[in-house]
Amino acid sequence: MTAAATHTTLLYDGDRHYASATGRFLREGLEAGHRTLVMAPPSRVEAIRRELGRDADEVAVVDDAVAYGPQWNAYRVVLDFVAAAPGVRSRVVAEQPLATRTPVELVDYRRLESAANLVFADHPVDLLCPYDAGLPDHLVDIALDAHDGVLGDGCVAPNARFRDPLAVLADLSAVVPPPAGAATLDCSHHSDLSLVRGLVRSRSAGRGLDPGVVADLELAVTEALTNALVHGSAPVLVHVYDEDRTWVWHVQDGGGLPVSPLAGLLPPAEPTDHGYGLWLARQLVAAVDVGSDDSGTHVRLHVRV
Amino acid sequence: MILGSHRAAADLCSLEPGTHLCALEPDGAQLDRVAATFVGQGLAAGDQLLYVASAEQVDGLVRRLSESLDARLAVSTGQLVTSSFELAYGSSSPDGVDTMADGFRLAAHQAQKRGFPGLRVAARMDEIAELLGSIDEVTSWERTATDLQRELRVSSACLYDTSRMAPGDAAVVAREHDGLAPAIDVAPIATFLAVDEPWGVRVRGEVDLSNRHLLHRLVLSRATVTPRLRVDLDRVTFADVATVAGLRSIAAALPEGGHLVLARVPCVVRRILEATGLRDDRLELEP
Repeated sequence: MTAAATHTTLLYDGDRHYASATGRFLREGLEAGHRTLVMAPPSRVEAIRRELGRDADEVAVVDDAVAYGPQWNAYRVVLDFVAAAPGVRSRVVAEQPLATRTPVELVDYRRLESAANLVFADHPVDLLCPYDAGLPDHLVDIALDAHDGVLGDGCVAPNARFRDPLAVLADLSAVVPPPAGAATLDCSHHSDLSLVRGLVRSRSAGRGLDPGVVADLELAVTEALTNALVHGSAPVLVHVYDEDRTWVWHVQDGGGLPVSPLAGLLPPAEPTDHGYGLWLARQLVAAVDVGSDDSGTHVRLHVRV
Repeated sequence: MILGSHRAAADLCSLEPGTHLCALEPDGAQLDRVAATFVGQGLAAGDQLLYVASAEQVDGLVRRLSESLDARLAVSTGQLVTSSFELAYGSSSPDGVDTMADGFRLAAHQAQKRGFPGLRVAARMDEIAELLGSIDEVTSWERTATDLQRELRVSSACLYDTSRMAPGDAAVVAREHDGLAPAIDVAPIATFLAVDEPWGVRVRGEVDLSNRHLLHRLVLSRATVTPRLRVDLDRVTFADVATVAGLRSIAAALPEGGHLVLARVPCVVRRILEATGLRDDRLELEP
């Protein structure tokens, strides 16, 4: 029986503190025969390399632009790393720069950090998520809400601020109704899928979006709408609007079974015919909000503009 | 459009196999359009189509179909089969009904053996009254056909030229059908055609919840005949994740020695394969 996963934060004060704390965490892992992975920006990776010296060669590295682009890819990177050596425990340092994230992306990152406690619970992995202690309070709050331990001077102290992940996820799944100025279409028929894809293309023209982003949005909207048509009830509506720094494609259906806050955070464990849609949408757009209430089930797909 | 029927025009995309439709029109040109719609949508859905008509009517149909799909390919693979009325239904009563029923059974069986999920038949009925002798015999045959087609899961469109019928007969004939075969100009968003060499399927257009089951059943039918097949995706402009996942499942279930090659894979399918990591030993990607 392997020990449960741990999910710890490090609130670091400057580069030297960062390097010594993460370096020690990784070195202890290497000495215990664990595998090690760093997902971080190049400057952070470089600091860790200098700290570890020759031991750095033992550490796998995934650039943050890959691991967090899109953000939910981070789960996949960790799971693939863990799965590559069954039975061997892994230590992972995971950090991305939060300053450039849009507000909806930060909401999604809150979900990602809190849900990690549940998603990885049964995996043999120790996750360390460093946060710069000088970040604004609302970003440091993510660290304090989502990690049950704080790495201090070589040992982990319990975090009294830690919040129940399901409660955090419930708070973050409140339905945001479409604004008054949204364009709304009834898409209750299967044949509407093709029409909506045409609409994604035509409405994207003139926005200066990369063709790859538009293609990904077409696919993401199709998957969200397909779920609504298959699992939800009529009417199925698509609202389109701008919000803050994102362009929103918002799929609303008349409701169905309640959507689990953990739905679509991971791909199906084994290949199957169905069950990829919501997970895939999270790999295709900047952020995805899922919520349900009396007005039905709402999936909001955000594209950066 | 039609006399004495309360039935609405059928939606050919979601046509339940075994549906017995008719068209009753006073002019041949409109019947040509109905035939082209029925045959074109059936071919696009991957079924085998039998068009019973004169040589001239067949030529007209192939010309019209070529505007929206590769009708020559369909003819060369036998996905589109044509026949004169005499060949299909015989030329002498009183064996007419039995001969026609035998013809249906044989054709339905052949369709499956040749790797098609189903058979649909469009038939110009201009000579049926002559063959069977009276309108009573015609309605009796149509009634038999309704049961037979349900049993064999063969859909059909019986195309009647009302200018050649006695007043009142059209209403009598209409009552023996499940609904009206429509004439519509809108092409389906995708076509799924059989290919013989190399054995497989050619897909073009967009594949999603509305039509992916049609692709999967055609691929399955082809795989049942020969479990080594190539799915040409060159003209695919969209596919959703369940389309790709379904093809992987079909590949994974192929018998020993079988394989499913995805050829000329478009960006959207590559994106899905990369993101999901969906793969299988029997699913091959042709560069």
